[in-house]
Amino acid sequence: MARKILCVAEKPAIARAVATHLSGGSFQTHAIRGNQYVKNYEFDFNFGGAWGNCSVTMTSVLGHLTGLDFDRQYKGWLSCPPGSLFEAPVQEAVDKDKLPIAENIRNQARYSKALFIWTDCDREGEHIGSEVRNQAKAGNARIEIKRAKFSNTESAHVRRAALQPVDLDEYQANAVAARIELDLRIGAAFTRLQTLQLQTVVAALKEKVISYGSCQFPTLGFVVDRYLRVQNFKPETFWGIKVIISREGKKVNFLWKRVHLFDRAVVTMMLERCLVAKQAKVTKVNQKPTSKWRPLPLTTVDLQMMGSRFLRLDSQTIMKVAEALYTKGYISYPRTETDQFDKAIDLKKLVEKQYPDSSWGQYAKDLVDGKFRTPRWGRHNDKAHPPIHPVSWVSPNQLNANEKKVYEFVVRRFLACCSDDAKGQSTEIEIQYGEEMFHANGLMVLERNYLDVYVYDKWESSQQLPNFERGELFEPTEANIFEGKTTAPNYLTEPELIGLMDANGIGTDATMAEHIAKIKEREYVATNQRGSGRSSVQELIPTRLGIALVEGYDNVVTGLPNSVSLSKPFLRKEMELRMLEICSGTKTRQEVVQQSLDMYREVFIHTQRRINMLKTACRKYLVEEAAS
Amino acid sequence: MASSDQIAALILSTKSLSVSPTWLNAFLSSGTAPRNVPASALAKTATFRLLTSDIRESLSKHRSCVLPTNVTDPNAQELRLHGPIPVQVLDIEDIGTSLWSQIEAIERVERGEAIRGREIVRTIAVGEDPEVSENNRSNNNNAAASGNSGSGPHRLMIQDAAGTVATGIEMQRIEGIALERLAIGAKLLLRNPTVARGMVLLTPESVTVLGGKIEALDKSWREGRKARLLEKTSSLEG
Repeated sequence: MARKILCVAEKPAIARAVATHLSGGSFQTHAIRGNQYVKNYEFDFNFGGAWGNCSVTMTSVLGHLTGLDFDRQYKGWLSCPPGSLFEAPVQEAVDKDKLPIAENIRNQARYSKALFIWTDCDREGEHIGSEVRNQAKAGNARIEIKRAKFSNTESAHVRRAALQPVDLDEYQANAVAARIELDLRIGAAFTRLQTLQLQTVVAALKEKVISYGSCQFPTLGFVVDRYLRVQNFKPETFWGIKVIISREGKKVNFLWKRVHLFDRAVVTMMLERCLVAKQAKVTKVNQKPTSKWRPLPLTTVDLQMMGSRFLRLDSQTIMKVAEALYTKGYISYPRTETDQFDKAIDLKKLVEKQYPDSSWGQYAKDLVDGKFRTPRWGRHNDKAHPPIHPVSWVSPNQLNANEKKVYEFVVRRFLACCSDDAKGQSTEIEIQYGEEMFHANGLMVLERNYLDVYVYDKWESSQQLPNFERGELFEPTEANIFEGKTTAPNYLTEPELIGLMDANGIGTDATMAEHIAKIKEREYVATNQRGSGRSSVQELIPTRLGIALVEGYDNVVTGLPNSVSLSKPFLRKEMELRMLEICSGTKTRQEVVQQSLDMYREVFIHTQRRINMLKTACRKYLVEEAAS
Repeated sequence: MASSDQIAALILSTKSLSVSPTWLNAFLSSGTAPRNVPASALAKTATFRLLTSDIRESLSKHRSCVLPTNVTDPNAQELRLHGPIPVQVLDIEDIGTSLWSQIEAIERVERGEAIRGREIVRTIAVGEDPEVSENNRSNNNNAAASGNSGSGPHRLMIQDAAGTVATGIEMQRIEGIALERLAIGAKLLLRNPTVARGMVLLTPESVTVLGGKIEALDKSWREGRKARLLEKTSSLEG
């Protein structure tokens, strides 16, 4: 056996799964020195083409190998003015606890012809791949570097990936390197500034590190914004007109086109003019087919949003469970922005795999037997991964409770995507009464289609409307004024927050859940249960410190033209757009780092000059309000 | 040079406005009016001035072109007014939108979020497919989705040349009547409108928006709008 190939995955579980598939199940396991989690799996595999039959060592890292930090003389909190961290020299070094793993890669590389990188196929994975490459090159400068492209750990897919390796994407790796440097410099500078300054103001903050993150702050900003909207809300009374018509033994409510108005005298006058007119006229009778569309293919953001809504799991838990299902080969890679199924994927074959299931197996059969429809085509494609879908069937008793829920959701969503829309017939009747317009709507569901498997969507027939003819004149049975009150919005929930982060362009789908977990962990935000039982939801409420920080930073930039608060998403959004430019090759890592640092340095200078704004806000919420 | 009668007749025929002779003479002799120009051009300049003037000074107070005194009588179920009656707008309010959401909208602008690229999405419908909801809105729209799009109907405070103040209600959408578009002091021409329970019913048939503004009134109205809305919301609480 002349050739040896080193394969490195991102996590031990993936290494083991890939080793199992490539070896057909027979491999030798060796422990490595200094780390109990990482193992080397050895077996033979025929890579075909120029490689042919090779002996393989499959191993893994544990996420990132290296970390970036300031030089020693800048590490102490009082060693330098925080502002100098925007320029202070930084060093990349292998994390202490990862040293044995790096050494293992260097050693293995020494005897290998080539390195196949099996890290997850996303931006972080590409960067981790570049870290692995650097270690391998240090062990063997002439080693050839390849990258396996895969989006699930199903056997045939993995074998195909092994036979068709590609090159590492340097652009993506560079984008992550830029993000790491920016997070370090900006995070450290602001964290030191605000911690040192605020510690002196409030006794409660004396021992506390008040950490800053360029994504966490705008995330916190959303929570605070909603909280203040709820707190400041003032209910108002409104009035409207309700018309009731009894016909064919049915009582139909007609809704006012104006919905409601905030002036009682005006509504009273309008109602009087209806009553004076006596007769109403049917102006429109519209019956037409309608449909409720089947859902789009599943993305990470949607999985987190829908999951935390229907499965009662927080987004971080959902992602952990989805990772586990992916690692075990049941679902495809759960970090994806794509909501389009590539035409090359044999979807029917994936549907067929669900036949054995006792709940939706029959539904899957019906799909393949003729009810199958090509999924809708969404607007997003990250060019790396397909939408999240089941890769193989697994019996529910092999899964724990949370895995069962997430797997079921992924499967039902996938089957729904491959189904027909629900079909129905809608009826709309519009009447003119005096000068006012009213309408009633009816719906009859004719074919449930995807609704049968996608139990999360509701679409039900309404009361059947009696017959009306266009142009017909009649006297309504009743017309009354109703009164109501506006209600405050609800506190933000986690699925909403994810939606807001996505809509405002902060956080990548993969990191959103982490940012939310961070602001909870740092005690800027607490959760509170609203309602009870099945309808309960977790609400996000900012702590006093959280509110003080947002108000403080907002006040720092008040009145400064073109300066935006750190509690707003714009700066971070711009930074993330620049990451994309690195990925597409239109900007270099250095350019982006410089531009983004300049942007944040400006806010930093304002913050330093107007630090009293932050101090005042902290005093207001943490001393005065806490005392009252 | 054209006589003031000639100018007044021109303004009456083009805009249906009866100018006060005193105001017109003052305008013509003020020296701000251009000399040696045709009557039609002079009439145009005068009309332009009229639109920025206070009509209590600039228009005729003749019985036929002012509001009747019972226009504000809440006991009158229905009255029909006659003739074109010019009025000026003293206040405009959106009665289809809660005060609170109007205040929030003002604050969004204050925070600079109305600027392109600085918008912030603050509410999101979880679990709603954006394309589907578009689709369904046209099919089976419910009460919340239709009608109320945050613009009106509007309630106006209007004043005639004699100084009588009345309430006008925008019964049907009228082009030009909107918070951002209608200035305080803008002139409207009422044509045979209906009055019900002390409110003048405004419809596209009964109202011509002449435009214009009274700069000083408009400026202070806009500056004071948020404070007035806030005051109203706090007075709502019992």
